[in-house]
Amino acid sequence: MIVRAAVCPSPPLLARQLTGQADVFPELRAACAAAVPALLAAAPDVLVVVGAGSATATWDPDDRLDPSAYAPALGTAGKPGLPLALGLGAMLLDAAGHAGPRVLQAVAEQAPGEECLRLGASLADLAPRVGLLAMGDGSARRSTAAPGHLDPRAAPFDASVERALRDGDIAALASLEPGLARDLLATGRAAWQVLAGAMSAPHTPVGQVLYADAPLGVGYLVVVLGVPER
Amino acid sequence: MSGLPGPREPGPLVLRGRSFPPGRLLVMAIVNRTPDSFYRPGLTWDEGAALERVHQVVAEGADILDVGGVPAKPGAEVTALEEMRRVVPFIAAIRAAYPDLVISADTWRHEVGRAACEAGADLLNDTWGGWDPELTEVAAGFGAGLVCSHAGGLPPRTRPFRVSYPDVVADVLDRVLGLADRAVRAGVDPAGIIIDPAHDFGKNSWHSLEITRRLDELTATGWPVLLSASRKDFVGEALGAGIDDRLSGTLAVTALGAWLGARIFRAHDVAQTRQALDMVAAVRGDLLPARTVRGLA
Repeated sequence: MIVRAAVCPSPPLLARQLTGQADVFPELRAACAAAVPALLAAAPDVLVVVGAGSATATWDPDDRLDPSAYAPALGTAGKPGLPLALGLGAMLLDAAGHAGPRVLQAVAEQAPGEECLRLGASLADLAPRVGLLAMGDGSARRSTAAPGHLDPRAAPFDASVERALRDGDIAALASLEPGLARDLLATGRAAWQVLAGAMSAPHTPVGQVLYADAPLGVGYLVVVLGVPER
Repeated sequence: MSGLPGPREPGPLVLRGRSFPPGRLLVMAIVNRTPDSFYRPGLTWDEGAALERVHQVVAEGADILDVGGVPAKPGAEVTALEEMRRVVPFIAAIRAAYPDLVISADTWRHEVGRAACEAGADLLNDTWGGWDPELTEVAAGFGAGLVCSHAGGLPPRTRPFRVSYPDVVADVLDRVLGLADRAVRAGVDPAGIIIDPAHDFGKNSWHSLEITRRLDELTATGWPVLLSASRKDFVGEALGAGIDDRLSGTLAVTALGAWLGARIFRAHDVAQTRQALDMVAAVRGDLLPARTVRGLA
């Protein structure tokens, strides 16, 4: 079962070396840097990173982000083709000093909700104590300067996700509409629904929101979800 | 070029203890203590205005200050004594204000060079191509750097008159490498020797365009190359641009020179030159971009 979960965003700029001389949004990095140790503090047997990819697949636990796809000058390193969300999740685990077992699980970005929920349930069964790090982002249409320009539905959509995570409202996450998420360029939808499938336990989780903002027009959420233990 | 040493390994430029690695692009800011230089004559004739310019160019990112007291063009005689009166106390004042800044004295005269070094100069910018051979001994004696230039054999403060070369780049190489070799023999620290093709000096605009285009032949020698093109006539003649309209052309030459390996850039417009060089360094991968978020959000 899931003993604790965390949600972090997956913009390339989370990788410090991709932003040049400037440390952009240090408060976002700090929130992620706080969320992952909180996740590890639950002493999971295995840490599962889930994030969107082009197809649902398990990657080698030793795979790491290849920054050269985003910044050729930095040179090739890590695993070419590893989904960004998994690479950044692995990076966060490394930064927190996690050396224990890990699973890097990609979920197809366009996977239907049911498929995500089933995948989540199976991940929860991997070990008696599973920690889950769901890497994904809200809408990229939060402002006129956003990558996808402004869509008035973006802010309410992101707010509904934030509310669901804070309140442990698993049903609300499970019922997110893939078509709407796709329209809003909300790439985190599939990972959040995997999380929903993994957490459909008898207890309602309690979320602590560490960061919720869209400084460049993309919704970033950092949340730690605790599960009351008996 | 017969008998001259082959290419040397590019290393740090060391000017009286201050060291600059090969990848670093340096701006040499022009501060003229003259009433009659070609660009903005008299701008820094007044000592207060000159010091004000020093503060400004330092803030704008100058690595080296080049202080000159005699214009390059022909005109009223400036004696060595008058030249010293113009530049030496001023160099002392800069040194007092900026103990770590590299100061260059733009002079061809050894008496002036000596007084400048005593006042704190670190580099002697001998733009007239070794006209006064004793300047080399002064650089050696003070442990100062030396710019070895090509002026086509012209006496100081003369204009080129129907100059021609079978191959201007070969002539430049022959002259500057010969001067560098002589400087090393005289005891100048090789790490402080710079070569300068000296655009416009003893050259028509075709010649200056040629040395710009083939600057890699100079940088291939391994000696640090100084590019001094700021608002010069070859820029103006290439573009049909008056003196006040030569900044774009200057920056284009600056960027090309940096790409071809020049390391020091003598400039009137320091902030713009610094920015152009930073852009080249960023493209080349020698400088991290300041802040990258485009497409990465």
